[in-house]
Amino acid sequence: MDVEVRLFESLKKHQPEGGKVRLAEGSRISDLLTALGISTDDVGILMVNQSDGRFDRLLRNGDVVTLIPPIGGG
Amino acid sequence: MPNGYNGKILHVDLSKGSWHVEEPEEKWYRTYMGGSNFISYYLLKNLKPGTDALSPENILIFACSVVTGAPLSGFNRYAVGAKSPLTGAFAETEAGGYWAPELKFAGFDAVVIRGRAVKPAYLWIHDGKIEIRDAAGVWGLDNFQTLERLKEELQDKRIRVASIGPAGERLVLYACVQNDMEHYNGRTGMGAVMGSKNLKAIAVRGTSKMKMADPEKVKEIARWHNERIKTHPPNVGLSKVGTTGLLKGINDGGFLPTRNFKDGVFEGADKISAPAYHETIFHSNSTCYACAVRCKRRVALKHEKYPLDERFGGAEFEALAALGSLIANDNLPAVARGNQLCNLLGLDVISAGAVVAFAMECFENGILTEKDTGGRPLKFGDPDAMLWLIEEIAGRRGIGDVLALGVKRAAQKIGRGAEQYAFHIKGQELGFHDGRGKTGMALGFALSPTGADHIETPHDVAFQGDGVSKLFPMGLFDPVDPLKTDPAKMRFFFIGQKAWGINNVLNLCNFVSVPIHAMTFGRLVEAVNAITGWDVSLYELVNASERSNVMARVFNNREGFTPKDDTLISRWFEEMPSGPLKGKRIDPEIFRDLVQLYYDMSGWDAQGRPTRGKLVELGLYWLLEN
Repeated sequence: MDVEVRLFESLKKHQPEGGKVRLAEGSRISDLLTALGISTDDVGILMVNQSDGRFDRLLRNGDVVTLIPPIGGG
Repeated sequence: MPNGYNGKILHVDLSKGSWHVEEPEEKWYRTYMGGSNFISYYLLKNLKPGTDALSPENILIFACSVVTGAPLSGFNRYAVGAKSPLTGAFAETEAGGYWAPELKFAGFDAVVIRGRAVKPAYLWIHDGKIEIRDAAGVWGLDNFQTLERLKEELQDKRIRVASIGPAGERLVLYACVQNDMEHYNGRTGMGAVMGSKNLKAIAVRGTSKMKMADPEKVKEIARWHNERIKTHPPNVGLSKVGTTGLLKGINDGGFLPTRNFKDGVFEGADKISAPAYHETIFHSNSTCYACAVRCKRRVALKHEKYPLDERFGGAEFEALAALGSLIANDNLPAVARGNQLCNLLGLDVISAGAVVAFAMECFENGILTEKDTGGRPLKFGDPDAMLWLIEEIAGRRGIGDVLALGVKRAAQKIGRGAEQYAFHIKGQELGFHDGRGKTGMALGFALSPTGADHIETPHDVAFQGDGVSKLFPMGLFDPVDPLKTDPAKMRFFFIGQKAWGINNVLNLCNFVSVPIHAMTFGRLVEAVNAITGWDVSLYELVNASERSNVMARVFNNREGFTPKDDTLISRWFEEMPSGPLKGKRIDPEIFRDLVQLYYDMSGWDAQGRPTRGKLVELGLYWLLEN
């Protein structure tokens, strides 16, 4: 399956070519992060299809995943 | 008896040594709800404009809300407010911990303090009883010693104590109030106001249970909230590393204030960020009342020069930036030691770090010399100079006596062009988020009634792309670019500010509440209703939030603040010198235009004064004569 990835700020450097990642069926967000080389520690906000996501969520073909590093708050 | 709140406001007159209890009606509670609104209500009703903030006439308010003390994560905060001695403007500053729920369980929703005690005193509030006690035994002690001594004196280990350290006693203008050595009402100098009243501490103990309209529903929401906290990414990060995790992201983005706001990238960031912190000085997690996040850190280290004690508080993001990047110091034990000194002595670590950075830049440019410092050089990157200055400031010795006034007044006193290095907004030093990388935050710093304050404002970088869906319930559907300054950014800020304001009115922690963290707008409304038995809507909560901003604005207008005070620091109008944001600046003309647009959107006139129409809309008829 293919998942669309939107990365912001310092995570942009992990942006895959064409903005998409091909993953095995049954993959979770945590598998996507591994494929991109991003640690969960470097993710502040995670949205899947414009809703709050979680690291153990199962992905589906066509999902849109947004990752923003922890940069808000104080 | 009402649900959620006690219906009782304690008024104490320290000059007379007397007190009385006010019992406002239900609609007053539902209109103002708590926190910043309670503070501005009593200030506007009772404080004469132009009053000296350190005089007995200033009014000091400790305010909880109608929901404080409910067994939900983050419903444990209180605000301290008065006229600020640092800014001369409206002041409020929040802290978590256990003190606020304890005050509610002791029978009061807020404490309003007037006058000045003839000799040092502390308040002892326990199960509806009030004592004004002699503080001779604790005056002069640091915050930790004060806490321990009062537990002995009152023979109760379970008391909760909000106190000031020697810096507050000596009226350092950015002295803080703390509770339990882990929670700090840091900003706006409320510790100095306490000191000016000869009030060392407020000890509280309460054994009553909070009455709630639908306790089963509250329990259900708590279970849902706490479960979500475990998996919601922003909360997962906070539980794991607290706010220390922000440092890397903010530095990598190029907006970590460095060398007195000159730069946005600190070359030593890795040495003071979360991995280093947790490998070298981390001791354990800690938390606030009923909170599942556990973002608080304790630190410990056996070190000859920079010993760390797990009982004196662990540096969080703002402290790491204040005593780290801002003064170009990558020595983590020294940063954490400086933070513990601020905690013990009772200094706001944000302002303290900014003052140290200001002094260092003045020294490096020959404005301050060894003649001013008694032969002590002040150089960026020197942790020992930072530690020395913190003690000199709290002790008000030598140059420390001047720096105790904050950068604005210190620069005026030093002269010789020091003003060019004194970075503040409305007299308050800035939190550590460079506005050139977060333009919405910059607008927030400019427009916050309390002066530059990162808790009063949306963090626009979190709402890029689909991140904006967290603000859908407020009608914001378009993502923001953190670097843009245009009307769309102002709309984001205008609406976002109302969302954040809900947390300050209800005394909720931003780290569990809307819009970034685990709570949602819908469930928050449900929680308020399950606690109070009311049928409030999000509309009503947003109105309460706007009321707090408008009342604070009226207060500031009365004190002589004008649109020229709604401004930014000069460095943000200049190009960022290096890093990912190299060349970025905020255009001063566009910024000015956006501030005017904000007045228009707010129903304020061109001079930034809330109009008659706005006051009537919010039911603030009693302010029309202003």
